[in-house]
Amino acid sequence: MMQRVRISGRKPLGMLIAAGCIGAAVVLGFYVAHRENAYPGSDSASIDAELVHIASTVGGRLADLPVQVNQHVHKGDVLYRLDPEPYMLGVQQAQANLDLASAEVENQKRLVGVKTATAAAARDQVTRARTNRDLAARTTERLQPLAGKSYIPWQEYDQARVALRDAEVSLAQARQQSEAADMAVGDLKSAQAAQAASQAMLDHARYELRQTVVTAPADGYVTSLSVKPGEVLAPSQVLFTLIVDEAWYVTATIREVDLAPVHPGDCVTVYSMIDRHTPLRGHVESIGWGVMSADTTGLARTLPLVPRQMDWVHVAQRFPVRIRLDDIRPALLRMGATATVEIRYGAACH
Amino acid sequence: MISVRPLTTLPFFPLLLGGCAFRGAPSFPVVGAYFPAWMVCGLTGVAVSLGLRVVFVLTGVDAILSFRLFTYVALGILAALAVWLVAFGPG
Repeated sequence: MMQRVRISGRKPLGMLIAAGCIGAAVVLGFYVAHRENAYPGSDSASIDAELVHIASTVGGRLADLPVQVNQHVHKGDVLYRLDPEPYMLGVQQAQANLDLASAEVENQKRLVGVKTATAAAARDQVTRARTNRDLAARTTERLQPLAGKSYIPWQEYDQARVALRDAEVSLAQARQQSEAADMAVGDLKSAQAAQAASQAMLDHARYELRQTVVTAPADGYVTSLSVKPGEVLAPSQVLFTLIVDEAWYVTATIREVDLAPVHPGDCVTVYSMIDRHTPLRGHVESIGWGVMSADTTGLARTLPLVPRQMDWVHVAQRFPVRIRLDDIRPALLRMGATATVEIRYGAACH
Repeated sequence: MISVRPLTTLPFFPLLLGGCAFRGAPSFPVVGAYFPAWMVCGLTGVAVSLGLRVVFVLTGVDAILSFRLFTYVALGILAALAVWLVAFGPG
């Protein structure tokens, strides 16, 4: 049945056909390669989303846990509550401290009032001492000519001069006392500062009390939750992870030689392998600016680590291209799922 | 000249396939692993070249061919590239 196959022959038509087929295959091959370079894609992309590691800034015993693993929650929903009692006590203590500081302010106000009155009295004393000194001075002035002409005993003039000296000393003393009393009046600054500090402590205690109730920072799915109420948590200890489902992304690793035609904003067709028949539309949001390279491992403050090798063939480096999905279908989106992307073409980009 | 007809229809081969343009991810799950589309194209090319060989032998076209190995390989590559362009490539 089968004829003997001859690899080559002397038939001109056969050679023409062979040349035509080979030429067509080469031309079509170059054409396909050219098109492929202009329209990159990847079949090893993965569905990506943003995460929030849910933790409270305060610690304590987990008192109430109304969410379950894999549950969907909305922004503002209560995720869990810590035992609030220690923080309520803290608020009470801070409130008592604030009351104490406020009472001290009132006390200080009364003290300042008393000292102000004392200072006023001291000023009055200065006035009195000056009046007395002036009287003594006039007396001395009147008696001086009389004593000079011996109309009055010299003794009386002496007494008047002593009285003047006495009045001058009294005036100086009264002035010093008035200055001291003015300085002693003081103000409410230290008491008011203590009150402000106590108010801040109370606000902080109230903030900590509020932190015992943890609410969802965004819409999303509860994952990696495997504890029950009763667990004791340290401050900032992560209890579970929230996958935020407000925005979904695809991370596609594209070879550096194919990156040139990729620009932010380009349309992308994404297939989630959960249902590989449904094209999802997305767009390129950004291209990663850096990846760790094994060839240039350089630790800070040491010499670069360069392995001895002789490579003739170098595998192309790939960079993560971040694609944001425009139509979100929850049934097709799970973080880490395999995805196929077609950048600038495909069913979703017509 | 019935022998020339397959060659003249060859350029229209992508157009014939255009009606059944492929829809879905260019990645095929087989027992839990994904196989890329170009592998499907390669297998198609192999199948087409083998099939054409059988058809040409039966119809006698094979007798007028020379450099048969290269001719059939080229035909298989053409078929594979055509399937890629029509079904998977950027359209």
